[in-house]
Amino acid sequence: MGRYIARRLLYAVPVLLATTFLIHAMVFVLPGDPIQGLAGDRPVPAAVLAELHRRYHLDDPLVVQYAKYLGGLLTGDLGRTFTGEPVADTLAGRWQVTLRLGLTAWFLETVLGVALGVWAALRKGRWADNAVLAGTTLVIAVPVYIVGYLAQLLFGVKLGWFPVAGAEDGWPTAYLLPGLVLASFGVAYVARLTRASLLENLRADYVRTAGAKGLPRWRVVVRHTLRNSLIPVVTFLGIELGSLMAGAVVTEYVFNLPGVGQQVFQAIQLREGPTVVGITTALVLVYCLANLVVDVLYGLLDPRIRHDQ
Amino acid sequence: MTSSPQAPAPPPAPAPAPPAPVRDLSLPPKRRPRRGESPSAGAWRDLRRRPLVLACTGVLLVMALMAALPEPFVALLTDDSGRCELADSRVGPNLHHPFGFDLQGCDYLGQVVRGSRPSLVIGLAVTAGALLLSLLLGMLAGFFGGWVDTLLSGLTDVFFGLPFVLGATVVLVAFPDHGLGAMTLVLVALGWTTMTRVMRAQVIGLKQADYVQAARSTGAGPLRLMTRHLLPNAVTPVVVVAMLNVGNVISGEATLDFLGVGLQYPAVSWGLQLNAAQAYVLDFPHLLAFPALFLSATVLSFILLGDAVRDAYDPKLR
Amino acid sequence: MLTARAGRLPAALLALALLAVAGSAAAGCVRRSDEDPGPVPDVPGGTFTVALTEPDHLTPGRTTSSYSLQVLEGLFDTPLALDPADGHAVPLAAESISTDDQRVWTLHFRPGARFHNGEPVTAASYADAWNAAAYGPNGWEANGYFSQIDGYAALNPADGAKPPTDRLSGLEVVDDSTLKVTLGAPFSQFPMLLAFPAFAPLPKAAFADPAGYDLHPVGNGPFAMDGDWRHQQRIDLRRAGGYTGPRPATADGVHFRIFTSKDTAFTELRAGHVDFMASVPPSRAYEAKRTFGKRYSVRPSGTMDYLGLPLWDTRYAKPELRQAISMAIDRRGITRAIFNEVFAPADSLVAGMIPGHRAGACGETCEYRPERAKELFDRAGGFTGTLELYFANSDPTYEQWMTAVANELKQNLGIRAIAFRKMSGADLGPILNGHKATGPYRQNWVVDYPSVQNYLAGLLGPNNRSGWSDPAFDRALALGNAAPTAAESEEHYHEAESIALRALPLIPLWNWQDQTAWSSRIGNVLVDPYVAGLHLEKVTVRH
Repeated sequence: MGRYIARRLLYAVPVLLATTFLIHAMVFVLPGDPIQGLAGDRPVPAAVLAELHRRYHLDDPLVVQYAKYLGGLLTGDLGRTFTGEPVADTLAGRWQVTLRLGLTAWFLETVLGVALGVWAALRKGRWADNAVLAGTTLVIAVPVYIVGYLAQLLFGVKLGWFPVAGAEDGWPTAYLLPGLVLASFGVAYVARLTRASLLENLRADYVRTAGAKGLPRWRVVVRHTLRNSLIPVVTFLGIELGSLMAGAVVTEYVFNLPGVGQQVFQAIQLREGPTVVGITTALVLVYCLANLVVDVLYGLLDPRIRHDQ
Repeated sequence: MTSSPQAPAPPPAPAPAPPAPVRDLSLPPKRRPRRGESPSAGAWRDLRRRPLVLACTGVLLVMALMAALPEPFVALLTDDSGRCELADSRVGPNLHHPFGFDLQGCDYLGQVVRGSRPSLVIGLAVTAGALLLSLLLGMLAGFFGGWVDTLLSGLTDVFFGLPFVLGATVVLVAFPDHGLGAMTLVLVALGWTTMTRVMRAQVIGLKQADYVQAARSTGAGPLRLMTRHLLPNAVTPVVVVAMLNVGNVISGEATLDFLGVGLQYPAVSWGLQLNAAQAYVLDFPHLLAFPALFLSATVLSFILLGDAVRDAYDPKLR
Repeated sequence: MLTARAGRLPAALLALALLAVAGSAAAGCVRRSDEDPGPVPDVPGGTFTVALTEPDHLTPGRTTSSYSLQVLEGLFDTPLALDPADGHAVPLAAESISTDDQRVWTLHFRPGARFHNGEPVTAASYADAWNAAAYGPNGWEANGYFSQIDGYAALNPADGAKPPTDRLSGLEVVDDSTLKVTLGAPFSQFPMLLAFPAFAPLPKAAFADPAGYDLHPVGNGPFAMDGDWRHQQRIDLRRAGGYTGPRPATADGVHFRIFTSKDTAFTELRAGHVDFMASVPPSRAYEAKRTFGKRYSVRPSGTMDYLGLPLWDTRYAKPELRQAISMAIDRRGITRAIFNEVFAPADSLVAGMIPGHRAGACGETCEYRPERAKELFDRAGGFTGTLELYFANSDPTYEQWMTAVANELKQNLGIRAIAFRKMSGADLGPILNGHKATGPYRQNWVVDYPSVQNYLAGLLGPNNRSGWSDPAFDRALALGNAAPTAAESEEHYHEAESIALRALPLIPLWNWQDQTAWSSRIGNVLVDPYVAGLHLEKVTVRH
């Protein structure tokens, strides 16, 4: 297992390098001048333009820029934003927001998704099952920003249960509504996955045997079926953790949460290369790690899969 | 990673490669079609009997007709002069104009009907493009293994890790015209990874099958092996994933429009309409409701249809 | 995983449910917010919250962003201020300003003023700040505001080389309270310029640790920083203890909450979590009027939108074509439909609130005359190729009004092929500044000081974006700058404006109006249309 993990970590290095280069190339090869963009409708004096270009390495060729970036990266310097803040500093505070949002969504997704899935599976064919399936299908079909606006209007403005937007109220108050919206897609998915997996297992011979022996149904479900049924769910949830962080752009935008998603979106518009590369690389890293954890977990949950030769 | 042959899910990915287990776990455990049996005949018969499938197909057919020939629909359903008068801006639904008017004073039903084209074209074109790309790359990676596989799997990981909205935004900034073509290209570039993994796993699994070995021993070349023997048998699960994905593509496109990095004038699309509506939701809910309704109905139909197709190929779950 | 059961409810029904939710959510919000609890008592103390968009910098010389300026209004006293009523310059940190020839100006500062850290404010504090901003290699954003001062060119070599000196030759510190400023050419509007925050003084700390200072600026105004600027989140100010200037603060403190989306900020204002918002999105105008009643106000601002025309593209060379485009645009229709009647159709190159604005200066050209427009269009020989419209994607309303313009050009002039070139500001800036656009573009002007001259020189001065120039225009501007009285200056400026309107390199569209709304917790809300925005020091709080 140790060798397997080491191999996987080693493998992540070229993937990360390739990702940073790809993003770097995408952002820096694009035409346009961020400094003139920031100045808006006023011309920028030539001397100021020259200085700012020098300060942000904007006139260097791509390879030189990338080399400088990597050099900085080795010393822990992620570059600077156009307001002169070190990117690492801006990320520090923002990661907390995104992490909180992601974990809240992930928690809601797990609890609600599994609960709904189990409920639907046990009531297969009855109205509860149909309601869960219909509801989750609808949620999957409606884009997340529409869900977001409706939730804001309904729970924030009309009912006043949650703050409408902003991270000011802290966790959990400020994160529940956006977390729910962000999780909505995943909840639907987890519920369906749990339901299907559980149904499949409930048909298995050993469950029938247990039922025939006269064990109460809930005992059969909890003791015998749930653990096996949750293997694919756990796998999905593991990967989902990474996607939730990356997928938070729209949710952060709608709910005005100062997380990395919002920042990276603005940074792309501003052509703030170091910020874009830094955040995206970090997201890919989180993603790779989540994958690794999932694969390791998978081996632990299902003894038939072994990672060592 | 090595897994024992009887491991049910995810599809076994034995082999030289850095591990790239199939991520789309919505896929049920795979039943590989037995040699010589057409998996589709029974499933197809099965599909046509279901009312839900008929309903979804109906919705999609109507949408497709609207996308192909919007003007007859508009002429039939509403009283659209083709001119947009600002004086009519945001007027609500009435008898002559069932959906009312949009912000620009254009007949909203006309605009919503015309907005179906980008969504459908992009949904289908992207899915087709990504499907072709993933069949090709998955086949190459799975068939040849070795460094080809390592390289392609690495590439898949890089693109897979790239967050969708970010990747799309960065790429779209490079295409100032933001037309249908650019959007399709971007969404294909970001949408081929899952299917490629499924395809690769399929090919790896089938490669060792007796009939492939037999064909190989009779002197079939790699090209013949790939096109005649592996492709027909490996393609079904990939197509199922593709079907399920059409809905995601359509709402992904709308999300990019919503964020202001998608299509632009003179294009008309549901995403653009939703973007324009967002600020007026409170006073003029019809601006949000109609495109949301059409968009959601289309996405929903694709999802339900994809689900049904998958179920037909995997009847265990019914 | 979905089985066929999911869809026993037809898809359309599910979608209808969505519509119902949308409708009910929206309907629920239409009720009025809280009852008005009467006027706010005029007593000192209490704190209030202002919605803000993230500023770029808080060092005065490093920003021209209106969001920064609102914070700087509380932190700094500039030499002069603009009278909120009519925009003429009045003393603030300076006691007096004088000149004989509009070129050499002498400023006398109030004695005894101190920065929030106790350091005395002297004439050198001003000179140091101005030198730093004017020094090109510093890359400070407000650099251009110092271009009138003698010696600016030496600090900003056109080739980007290192300047031989780092001090403006036109600044002379006579004594601790006297600063003599020599300009490159006579400039009668100079006192108004001195109300711009970039002309505020800086303490020594600003130069010792510029990055730290930008997070925690130490100023000479009625409010001081209370903790550091927390990026993207908040900026807190508290009443400055040792303030001796002419505008002491009433409230104990101000909290700025930073929002990315103005819509979100407005929603928070409605929910009572924010007390003041300076720029309610025009799309929320009806809602704001209904919800806030008397605590909602629309005031003219100095900001103008124009459609700039690329004169280097021969298709736009004929003035008739430019007039045709102008007359095909229904300004009133657009301000009604897109801006909810909040913006005012433009009838001049200059905003209506500017002293010296002439109503109807643009005449028939800025009116909606579709038939006449078509006539002029045909006479100019029509238009070939695709008409491309350039604008930035930084605000969703640009796209909406550009769509309206595109529809009108299509319907009224018969131009079939119209396409958008919507892009990020980073792309648009070089295209417009480098004269590479091949179609009309959105041009916006935020006024720096309330003078006709600011619009004319800023938009149509040398090397302007539209590529237009006319020696008669330049001559009229220079005469206005040198004239000894305001009335004489204005006359020359008017002549220059008329020349520009006849040639029409820029089509005036509309004048922004600032929509402000505030909660019932605060009173004495004075918002001025010039640089200051909300006068933070005057606000009273119910507490």
